[in-house]
Amino acid sequence: MLLKLTFNSLYARLLTVAMTVFAISLSLMLYMSVEKLRTSAYTSFTDTISQTDLIVGARTSSVQLLLYSVFRIGNATNNITWESYEDVINKKEVAWSVPISLGDSHRGFRVMGTNSEFFKRYKFRGGQSIELEQGKNLDDLYDVIIGAGVAEKLNYSVGTPLIVSHGLQSFSDHDDQPFKVSGILAKTGTPVDNTVIVSLEAIEAIHVDWSTGAKIPGQITPVEEIRQMDLSPKNITAALIGVNSKLQIFQLQRWINEYPEESLSSILPGVALQELWRIVGVVENLLLGISVTVIFTTLIGMTAIIFSSLNERRREMAIWRAMGASPKVVIGLLMLEAFIISVMSIIVSTVMLFLTLYVLQPWIDNTYGILVNIEMLSFKDIYIFMLFIIAASLVSLIPAIRAYWFSINDGMTIKI
Amino acid sequence: MKYIIYILLSFNLLTFTISAEETRQVDKHEHGVGELNIAVEGSTIEFEFMIPGADIVGFEYVAKNDEDIAKINQALKTFDDYTNIFTLPSNSLCELNGQKVALKEEDEHDEHGDEHDEHDDHNEHDEHGDEHDEHDEHDEHDEHVDHDEHDGHDEHAEENHNEFYAKYSFECGNINAIKEVNFPYFATFTNSGELEVQFISNMGSTSFEVEGDEPLINTDGKI
Repeated sequence: MLLKLTFNSLYARLLTVAMTVFAISLSLMLYMSVEKLRTSAYTSFTDTISQTDLIVGARTSSVQLLLYSVFRIGNATNNITWESYEDVINKKEVAWSVPISLGDSHRGFRVMGTNSEFFKRYKFRGGQSIELEQGKNLDDLYDVIIGAGVAEKLNYSVGTPLIVSHGLQSFSDHDDQPFKVSGILAKTGTPVDNTVIVSLEAIEAIHVDWSTGAKIPGQITPVEEIRQMDLSPKNITAALIGVNSKLQIFQLQRWINEYPEESLSSILPGVALQELWRIVGVVENLLLGISVTVIFTTLIGMTAIIFSSLNERRREMAIWRAMGASPKVVIGLLMLEAFIISVMSIIVSTVMLFLTLYVLQPWIDNTYGILVNIEMLSFKDIYIFMLFIIAASLVSLIPAIRAYWFSINDGMTIKI
Repeated sequence: MKYIIYILLSFNLLTFTISAEETRQVDKHEHGVGELNIAVEGSTIEFEFMIPGADIVGFEYVAKNDEDIAKINQALKTFDDYTNIFTLPSNSLCELNGQKVALKEEDEHDEHGDEHDEHDDHNEHDEHGDEHDEHDEHDEHDEHVDHDEHDGHDEHAEENHNEFYAKYSFECGNINAIKEVNFPYFATFTNSGELEVQFISNMGSTSFEVEGDEPLINTDGKI
């Protein structure tokens, strides 16, 4: 009876109520999407590298080393010499290693030189391996393997020829030595998708006629001659390392960090990720703070709307009283109203959230490399909803008490 | 996400430039920050502490008098019983099967060693001999350090760092029961600052920052 009455009363003020519900839904959705993006970004990041024990590079900060070696964000301060790399991997603690050479690009995608170990050892998302979807491994010096994202965006297939550019944003191309796509990797959801992979020897080969970052004028060594040359790598950018026993890892890390011949840094990827996340966490909390504030604002807005409707509804309340409703029932009615509005807002916001995620998911994945999982509401979401409903009902007590006084004072006769 | 990281990275680089001296040199040494490495392999768990002397005994100069020596010996004795430093849940059935406690002094000799290494880098072998002469001079100089009235004393005392090193190795009957590690360390040593923890197991690596107001790490699901 009371419920029906409230519904009808709300229905009578459909436009105002709908606007209120919409406003609250938007703010709730804002909160939930921030939360969703936050958790998805974290899993995306932590899933990018797994089972690698140490990353070794030139002396730099751990976050930077992680970002350029794994996420291809930013640049290396220095490369490390092949001799140092060999000294490191010859340590008895080292079980396997993957050398990585960065610095060139192809139409905005980073080119990474590595060896066959990369395909065997690089793991993501709890130990998954990267797989070739089409084509074959790097057999020829001028073969490249491209990530799924590169293939999709540039519309490349096996056999497509391509030119590697020198540096990341330069107009000088290694156009005297064209490459060809030999394989395309299956989608991983990691930065590998946006990477062009070549052999370490190929990186050496394209830089044969280059000296200190510039092409030596007039010098073009024929490809056939280059193929005969000793192309063993002289330096690399970073190396992924696996150890035989986790117990030896810190000893090896110390050895590398104190390596006297060259300034090296070695990091534990998980530790660097945590460090990165501690920095990102500040912004996360900021976003979270903003969305919580928005929720509070809409709660206050809802109260304001109920308040302002009170005057118009004094006649309505007088009728309720005439029908035999006690002042307490008037309080109940208003609280019930707030309750219904908040529940409706939750439903609308959830529907809107899922629709938005569904529409934006491919775009977020492509643009930011963050895979947002569309999954059922978490326990935490439901907990937040409960809190919101309780808060809404409590806030509505303020106008409800006022209405209570109105109805006691006014009784059935309205003195406006 | 990427853009957020770019922005943050610029902040990050700033802070790193500021703290570069403490964190990015070969001899990392930051008062108030102890390092702890925890490694788990199979049923073995190892703890390795490297803590600046200042955090333990309040000074880092070479012990000058009996009081200082007593302090250091007392501290080393405290480290001998690992339960003064950290505790593991009893149901993990961990038994200590190896430990090493030492005071590592970064003496002048070591510093010269580093210098030599640096020169090796540059292959300046010719100058090497000269360096040796300087080295000897320094050694002579050091002898004077013990005299309080020596002018250079303060300088040298500042340069002189030492750290407490302690390594404990455990075999555990039920290693998965280690859901948290508590650190009485903060209560034991009143000068202690924070502990920076690097943690690795087969589940991957992670890090913690532990401080006295919440002296524990949660390793649930990480072993």
